[in-house]
Amino acid sequence: MPVVVIMPKVDMDMSHGTVSAWHVAAGGAVTKGDPLFDIETDKAAMEVESPGTGTLHHIIANIGDTVAIGEPIAWIYAEGEAVGDAPQGPAKAAEAPAPADKDEPPTPAPTPDQISDSAQNGETGLRATPLARRLARERQLNLSDLRGTGPRGRIQAQDVPKKAATPAHPTSKGHTTGQTPILLIHGFASDPASWARLERELGQRHIIRMELPAHGRLTGDVPDSFADLARRMRDAFDDLGQENVHLVGHSLGAAAALAIADVRPRQIASLTLISPAGLGPEINGAAITGVAGAPRVESLGPWLRTLAHDPDLITDAYVRAIMAQRQNPAVRQAQLALADAVFPDGVQAFDLRAALDRVDMPTRIIWGRNDRIIPWKHALSAPGRVSLNLFERTGHMPHIEKPAEIAFLLRQRGE
Amino acid sequence: MSRELSYAEAIREAMDIALGEDERVILMGEDIGVYGGAFQVTGDLIDKYGPDRVMDTPISELGGAGVAVGAAMTGLRPIFEFQFSDFATLAMEQIVNQAAKVRYMLGGAVSIPLVMRFPAGSGTGAAAQHSQSIEAWLAHVPGLKVVQPATPHDAKGLLLAALDDPDPVMIFEHKLLYKMKGAVPEGRYTVPIGTAELRREGSDVTIVATSIMVHKALEAAKALAEDGIDCEVIDLRTIRPIDRETVLASVRKTSRLICVYEAVKTLGIGAEISAMVAESDAFDYLDAPIVRLGGAECPIPYNPDLEKAAVPQVPDIIAATRDLVEGRR
Repeated sequence: MPVVVIMPKVDMDMSHGTVSAWHVAAGGAVTKGDPLFDIETDKAAMEVESPGTGTLHHIIANIGDTVAIGEPIAWIYAEGEAVGDAPQGPAKAAEAPAPADKDEPPTPAPTPDQISDSAQNGETGLRATPLARRLARERQLNLSDLRGTGPRGRIQAQDVPKKAATPAHPTSKGHTTGQTPILLIHGFASDPASWARLERELGQRHIIRMELPAHGRLTGDVPDSFADLARRMRDAFDDLGQENVHLVGHSLGAAAALAIADVRPRQIASLTLISPAGLGPEINGAAITGVAGAPRVESLGPWLRTLAHDPDLITDAYVRAIMAQRQNPAVRQAQLALADAVFPDGVQAFDLRAALDRVDMPTRIIWGRNDRIIPWKHALSAPGRVSLNLFERTGHMPHIEKPAEIAFLLRQRGE
Repeated sequence: MSRELSYAEAIREAMDIALGEDERVILMGEDIGVYGGAFQVTGDLIDKYGPDRVMDTPISELGGAGVAVGAAMTGLRPIFEFQFSDFATLAMEQIVNQAAKVRYMLGGAVSIPLVMRFPAGSGTGAAAQHSQSIEAWLAHVPGLKVVQPATPHDAKGLLLAALDDPDPVMIFEHKLLYKMKGAVPEGRYTVPIGTAELRREGSDVTIVATSIMVHKALEAAKALAEDGIDCEVIDLRTIRPIDRETVLASVRKTSRLICVYEAVKTLGIGAEISAMVAESDAFDYLDAPIVRLGGAECPIPYNPDLEKAAVPQVPDIIAATRDLVEGRR
């Protein structure tokens, strides 16, 4: 039986991948473990190794095709094995079925009906104007993440979130009417995409993401202290022009959120601090500099696994995807410099406990009991009116490890 | 010095200047002499320059055009007037196979500095055979230049520019514009062939219009401005060669394009403008489908109501623009 080549899941939040290159042409010889094709996901470009040895046939996902994870994209026939009929075209962007077993024969090609059904939901049926497509390309956004407000759901330029007018690079999505927006600030060495799981659980909400300085596209000018970082985040918040938001931050982003809430209390409807920094001196300095400085997957993986309680959540493929975003040495240098400013010598150099005493909007702290980066017991310094939600078997990233539960909490107050 | 002249007066003044400056310039056409032209454009020029330079031609467009081509080929600068642009059909051999081709076929040894004037368009109740807009037919022919002045200023300036041109230039004058008044500078000036004019700056949508449609587009833009829709209106002025950059730059700015022209919509100047944008880098700036407003797919009707309905009117432009900008297309 031929070995089926499937679109692999290389990233936790990935539902589809786009084939960006084939290293072997149809009819070419392949060896298990050798590079077979490249894919692009929302986050990264990855090389995928061949799952078998033999001859490559029936390439049904061509360069540029977007395919749901688990979908077959080609087959590898062993030497001497009879090559069957070519399957007829991929189920592009269909809902991902259970990953095909490698020993199964090629799945029959979908019928035209199936293709058109899937096309209505998937990227192949996506309507976007040339301008919207160009803006999304330039802003490195995935069109399938955007909601079109034009005729028949066409994505227009106004549906593509604007580039950062501020150092904190806010992006906005979801409905904009009626509801109070949720404003998300990611943690150290993370990025706005880390909220994807929680956002999915929240459903159609107006969500605004802010980016920390020295992260993502903002590596130019590193804050020299937490006060400097907090000031910049406050300016960025002011630039957003939001009169009322539910503010949610994670780790260093939670510290930034608390600092903003302290100076802009009337604009914050509620404050949610997930594994916040700033409530005590201890922090896992080795993990901080380990994640920030690791130049390759071998050194990054072990540190990333300290973030979650269940190390299996952090797959090799996930580590490769994260590393791909951190290939630029300037990004790593900027974050090491930021770590040195706010967490020098493995100590949290700033203390926001007084601020936590001052803020009077509804506030909660969410923490995993198995956090190996910041001890959850820092939460015990909070005043009695701050709610505390602790999760068992959860590490430093409750929003990734327990997204449904966090979304449930956020919904409780109509957030 | 600038003063108000009608479109027809501006053309006459241009011809007067040319006749006075350059003895090679002659006027030819049916009834352009004593009668003053079918639309009284040549007027009394025969009194000033005599029948040798303001020549009535027999009622044969093919014959007259042939003489004009030959005169141009042998050193004169004829301005040949058709009574109606529709009658160009009778002279197609001379226009398309001779005037447009001779320079190429003789390896550039001769050129045909010929100007032809075509009263064009509907709205005068002259029915199907006297109301067409056939400028795109001629614009399809390499070797011809085709202009459509929309204002008295441009009618004079483009005619003088056409006379300066070494090759045949076809001027389509909308009959309803002849009486329109506008500021016209005194003396000689030219409007360069191949340059469009931005008639109104705007940010929401680019309306590319030709001839009389420029005025309808401007009127629509004025009404739309009250609703907060900011139209940019481009007067194309020349349809061959098209001023590509002016159109593309505007589309890059507004991200929306409407083409308005009186000629039959299908296979016309609107298709050319749309394709030009779609083929260019400006494609990546489009945020809505391109819209063409052109004439109906029928001969121009004699019935006055139907005649109006057969070509774009101001309310049509307003409705189409609103639909486009407000996201219904």
